Amino acid sequence: MAITPDWLSAQHQCRRVFPVRMADVPLLLDARGACYLPQQDWLVVSDLHLEKGSFLHSFGNPISGLDTRATLLRLRSLIVDYSPDTVVCLGDSFHDSHSFSRISEDDQKLLSEVQNGIQDWVWIQGNHDPDIPETMGGRAIRTLTAGQVQLAHEHEPDVEFQLIGHYHPKCQRSVRRHRFRGRCFLMTDKIMIMPAFGQYTGGLDINHEVLLGLAPRRHRRHYLLYDSCIYPPVKKP
Amino acid sequence: MTSPDTADATLPAPFMSWFEKRGWSLRDYQRAMLSRAQSEQATLLIAPTGAGKTLSGFLPSLKALYEAPREGLHTLYISPLKALTQDIHRNLLEPVEEMGLDVTVETRTGDTPSHKRQRQRKRPPNMLLTTPESLMLMLSYADADVLFGKVERVIVDEVHSLIANKRGDFTALALARLQQFSPHCQRIGLSATVAWPDLLASWLGGTDTPAGILQVPATTRPKIHILESEARMPFGGFMARYAIEDIYHAISEAQTTLVFVNTRAQSELLFQMLWEHNKAALPIALYHGSLSKEQRRKTESLMAQGVLRAIVCTSALELGIDWGDVDQVIQVGAPKGVSRLLQRIGRANHRLDEPSIAMLVPANRFEALECQAALDAVMAGELDGDKPQSGALDILPQFILNCLCSQPGTAEQLYALVLEASPYQGVNWETFEKLWWFTVDGGYALRAYERYQRLTQQEDGRYAPANRRVIQRHRQNIGTIVEAGRLKVKRIRRGNQGKIIGEVEEYFASQLVPGDTFIFAGEVLKFEAIRDMQLHARPVKGGEPKIPSYAGGQMPLSTYLADGVRSILADPSQWQKLPRQVQEWLELQQAFSRIPDTKKVLIEQFPYRKAWYTLYYTFEGRKANQTLGMLLTRRMEKFGVKPLSFSVTDYGLSVCSVNPVTQSQLTELFQPDILGDELEDWMLQAPMLKRSFRQVAVVSGLTEQRYHSSQKTMKQVTFSTDLIYDTLREHDPDHILLSVARADAERELLDLRRLADMLIRFVDKTVLVNLEKVSPMAIPIVLDVRSEQVKGAGAHAMLEQADLYAEAEAMLDEVRAILSGDNS
Repeated sequence: MAITPDWLSAQHQCRRVFPVRMADVPLLLDARGACYLPQQDWLVVSDLHLEKGSFLHSFGNPISGLDTRATLLRLRSLIVDYSPDTVVCLGDSFHDSHSFSRISEDDQKLLSEVQNGIQDWVWIQGNHDPDIPETMGGRAIRTLTAGQVQLAHEHEPDVEFQLIGHYHPKCQRSVRRHRFRGRCFLMTDKIMIMPAFGQYTGGLDINHEVLLGLAPRRHRRHYLLYDSCIYPPVKKP
Repeated sequence: MTSPDTADATLPAPFMSWFEKRGWSLRDYQRAMLSRAQSEQATLLIAPTGAGKTLSGFLPSLKALYEAPREGLHTLYISPLKALTQDIHRNLLEPVEEMGLDVTVETRTGDTPSHKRQRQRKRPPNMLLTTPESLMLMLSYADADVLFGKVERVIVDEVHSLIANKRGDFTALALARLQQFSPHCQRIGLSATVAWPDLLASWLGGTDTPAGILQVPATTRPKIHILESEARMPFGGFMARYAIEDIYHAISEAQTTLVFVNTRAQSELLFQMLWEHNKAALPIALYHGSLSKEQRRKTESLMAQGVLRAIVCTSALELGIDWGDVDQVIQVGAPKGVSRLLQRIGRANHRLDEPSIAMLVPANRFEALECQAALDAVMAGELDGDKPQSGALDILPQFILNCLCSQPGTAEQLYALVLEASPYQGVNWETFEKLWWFTVDGGYALRAYERYQRLTQQEDGRYAPANRRVIQRHRQNIGTIVEAGRLKVKRIRRGNQGKIIGEVEEYFASQLVPGDTFIFAGEVLKFEAIRDMQLHARPVKGGEPKIPSYAGGQMPLSTYLADGVRSILADPSQWQKLPRQVQEWLELQQAFSRIPDTKKVLIEQFPYRKAWYTLYYTFEGRKANQTLGMLLTRRMEKFGVKPLSFSVTDYGLSVCSVNPVTQSQLTELFQPDILGDELEDWMLQAPMLKRSFRQVAVVSGLTEQRYHSSQKTMKQVTFSTDLIYDTLREHDPDHILLSVARADAERELLDLRRLADMLIRFVDKTVLVNLEKVSPMAIPIVLDVRSEQVKGAGAHAMLEQADLYAEAEAMLDEVRAILSGDNS
């Protein structure tokens, strides 16, 4: 663990982090789109969608394939700050099952570099990447538990407390006629949905019926990521 | 008319008798068109509306086909508007049938069903009426050389609307390609009266072979007046609600009226308001480019039958459609340009020798100034308009691919072809080569994606599309130039059942939250969701709809009019020709603040809606104001003024900030050095570059515009092109698309030269007036809804005010405890 109370205070001061709790687990939400579990010393990111650029490229779309590199570099900067014991990638870490054959040597090297020094690198299996080969390092499993909270890619109806990804939540906030939009953490007392971390990922509005089903208006809190800062829920008027 | 033009141009007997039966005689310029048809030189016919321009364009081809009937494509007609092809088709069939000519005429647009397209490809008609996009698509066919090989003539209608925009660049490229297939093809251009005929002629003819010009003078001046209403004209607002009684009255007095507005949103609202007033149940219809094909067709045919008394319409009806008996045009809102106004007014009365009748209805008092400036210009016979610019580079990848879809080629061959299109005559090889490699494999510096090439090299060295999917994808995306992303609007009746009633811009759709209401196709709809790239909405009764702000349809004011408005303001002796209410408003402004003059820049500042507004009356046009806004807000950010957003009009700039600006800050703000070294850096971060990148990404084929319906619906698979922009900027800063976006922004959004001139001219000549509240003149500017957000301290201050930040303290302590427990 590399972060200190002073670092935390400073980061909180300039709105780079925000602490919340689910069940018995404190969570530190980072404005860069990651979540840190101080008790466990875990750093969690979700929906990296590595090689999405090259996926689109293979459909004749001349999009830049620089996304994997960009995503990994951002992840590295988080790891440098937190130097966690464990890194959990909460599913859909790779965009499709051919990602592993498309990833360039340089990017694969970068991935190993990023993994270097992490004791336990966990790939949670997602719908895009149910089978992750050993060459990608780390271990691949379906779920993980922290205290009473289950970490998995998708929502599961019978689990009481869960930390998941998959939905890429985003929101829009209006303050005095000015509108601000961005990715967000979306949570209730029972569920925390992580924003997508991947460079080339879109979002689903928190008012979409699917997300309303998981986090109804009355119970939800959302933490907006805007211009490198994190903004907790808005005061009720 | 010179004598060589008129020599040897007679019409065959059936033509003569058809003219006689109608009581028409062959006009001089029609005769000239006939004789010029024998040469290969391009001809530009410039004539006022009502002169029988279109028929003149077709006459030589009809004559040729009568004298030597043949199979296959003989004449292509290109119109910038789909609706126009329908209309011309109707009007052309009439003489063809009545003269008993053995000539086949068909239309081909995006709306043409696929079985008809296939048939047209196998057995093309003699005359094909089409749009630039459909032409480009046909040019991508493998048999395009056969299909177009014997085209004798191509008629480009409404040439003036193809100048200085991407659509025109696109058309110029299509013409160059066509000429390659049919080297002797003659180009005919038809245009309304323009300010710079020579420039238009160069555009039409292609590089180094300008078209010859035939100009038909206007014989009558239109009769135009500005509405002087008894009702109170508002200071701000853009909907002209106050004048509904007057507009309705004018409609009921005339036989048939076209009511022009500037945006689709305005057309929807005005249409609603007119029906609320429609006591006599006059048949009044609505027409704009976002309505579905069926709806538009219905309105067109009702109009052709003479059933309608009025149509509320946007610029979609501005170009040449011949409605026959329109006897009045009403322009609601500011006219935005002299030539545009004339074009609209020309819709009334399609007879050359009778004046057109028009009424201008300013929506607010500021717009009355603009109406007056436009009226002055029309009476003085002045014209304005865009001058041709160098071609947009993002179209070239699309064009390269298009050419290679029909036959393989090399970069050198295509470069030579591109230079033939006059907007692209200045493109250098280095730039072209980069665009070429972008088309081949994305052109990325860091890594080569050999496996993912769009184009592959054959053994003979020529390039061709890598596979069928590349070709298919390209064809689906041709012509994405005109508009940014669009979504179909599905009107839901029950369950998920409903029908498509039109389209809206993606930008507009992305702003909607479920439950929002908006007006579309004449009724109030409630937004439900976006599914399968369709916007689902349900009709609702009552309730105040949110006003839709369609991104499209906002027209920049011509520089000419901005100057006109400034000179009216500066000269109080001219005020008396303005409507009485407008004069009162100017006097009020004079007493409350000041009237802007030509020697100094007036700057007003006042608190409004818990923020500070600073207004700069520059009169330098939207582009220069846009750039100024970007630069000023950056410097204000440095000074701690915390700017939140700015909005731009043709007259000025309004900046909204958390703190007010002081006089000393102002002196440092309004200096030429804001254009200095930091400009580069500022521009790269500016939202405007991202915005032009968004369009460049679509046009160049980087991202897709059309989506297949098989797309998964639950999650938005699409992501913003802003993310690609950021990635490129950081990891491949020399990529060609970044420079293209930059060039595009300078072309369409910035006016650096004009801004620099102004800043130098007005050094230390600013007047800051601090007011307690908004001034009469500022109201329409402040009410303009489209503002650009400024990312920075102001935005964060705003968000901070609203959140529950303090409640984190207890939780924070707990985390601190965990951290120190582990660390100690």
